[in-house]
Amino acid sequence: MANLKDIQRKIKSVSSTQKTTRAMKLVSTAKLRRAEELAKRSRLFAEKTNAMISELASQIECMKIGGIENRAFSEIEAPKMVDIIFVTADKGLCGGFNMQTIKAVRKLMAEFKDEKVKVRLRGVGKKGIEFFSYNQVEMLDQEIGLSSMPDMDRAAEFMDASIQDFKDGKIDGVYVVYNGYKNVITQELHVNRIMPVDTNEFDCQDVSKSSLLELEAEDSEKMLDALLTKYAQYNMYYALIDSVAAEHSARMQAMDAATNNAKEMVKKLTVQYNKARQEAITTELIEIISGVESMK
Amino acid sequence: MDTFKLEVITPNGLIFDNEAVEVTLPGEEGEFGVLPRHASLTTLLKAGVIDIVTADKRTESIVVNWGVVQVTEDKVTVLVDGAVAIRGEGESEVAKVLADAKRLLAAVSDSKMALASVSAKIESAAHKLL
Repeated sequence: MANLKDIQRKIKSVSSTQKTTRAMKLVSTAKLRRAEELAKRSRLFAEKTNAMISELASQIECMKIGGIENRAFSEIEAPKMVDIIFVTADKGLCGGFNMQTIKAVRKLMAEFKDEKVKVRLRGVGKKGIEFFSYNQVEMLDQEIGLSSMPDMDRAAEFMDASIQDFKDGKIDGVYVVYNGYKNVITQELHVNRIMPVDTNEFDCQDVSKSSLLELEAEDSEKMLDALLTKYAQYNMYYALIDSVAAEHSARMQAMDAATNNAKEMVKKLTVQYNKARQEAITTELIEIISGVESMK
Repeated sequence: MDTFKLEVITPNGLIFDNEAVEVTLPGEEGEFGVLPRHASLTTLLKAGVIDIVTADKRTESIVVNWGVVQVTEDKVTVLVDGAVAIRGEGESEVAKVLADAKRLLAAVSDSKMALASVSAKIESAAHKLL
């Protein structure tokens, strides 16, 4: 028979866990609201930048304006090396949030391996970094602290390293993998190709009707360069804020589930405790009665 | 009267989204004005002031530090890095906005001349508000 004291101790421990998980859930809810707001406001900018860059890219593709030779806008045949940047959270206790990203990264790496493409892994977020270093996967860069506190300047700096290597021809592609926010209960995994820019979205026929580049070739080269850098940096930053929002929503859910489980557990333990107490009382009574009987 | 849709977008959201009749932008190679049905173009902006005349004839100024503008016949989209709209009620609010705007510019501009000319423009815009 379980000891009464033991059960009582267990109940106490579970209910204090419940308190903690509930508090964590509340914290995440509050943080989520802020992160969601930030992500929502930034989404517009990200969308517009991406639209503008792909429009420019397709104009270059379709019209061959001024013979611009830019690696960023053409499909690279037989790439040799690519960068994969992943974004995970710095903290755990958020369900399968980090694991989903890690799985996607491993899948992508396996795909590249099949195609005999070398991969340079650059990590943001402690959880992902811990996982890959535990599994002895080499990482080029490890950035901790950025994913919980997104910062435009640091994101830009991080991205610039990849972009510079891409421009210099050291690598042939840049991918960003992160788990983004869809709504309060779902997260959406994103695998974005930053470089080379996707030009498939636009039809050449549409392009001829839309805005023309009214610029000299060297100007547009300069503009493209500036715009490309901004585009890459901003995409990185957006991945970070989207990931923060998703992290909080995932944690909120995980902690909600944990709180509910703890509640169930307390219920079960209380029943067990009552049973044990009743048993003890019954035994005691039998002892007394049989004691009295024997005295007769 | 002809108008066009003007959007000024920063990484922190929309700062201006309305119908306008005229806008003056600080282009990389000098200031240029856009009226409705302007020919399409896409170009870079440098640090400076965007002057807007809205459909109801009010003027508004927005200070930017870097940007790209895409002009089509009926729409102007400005993507900027950092922006401060010169608006506000009362002297203290305007003074605060002014200080913000100047800080934004000081961070990007290295030539004192350019900074001075833009600052003068902001001051005059702020004066109109008071």
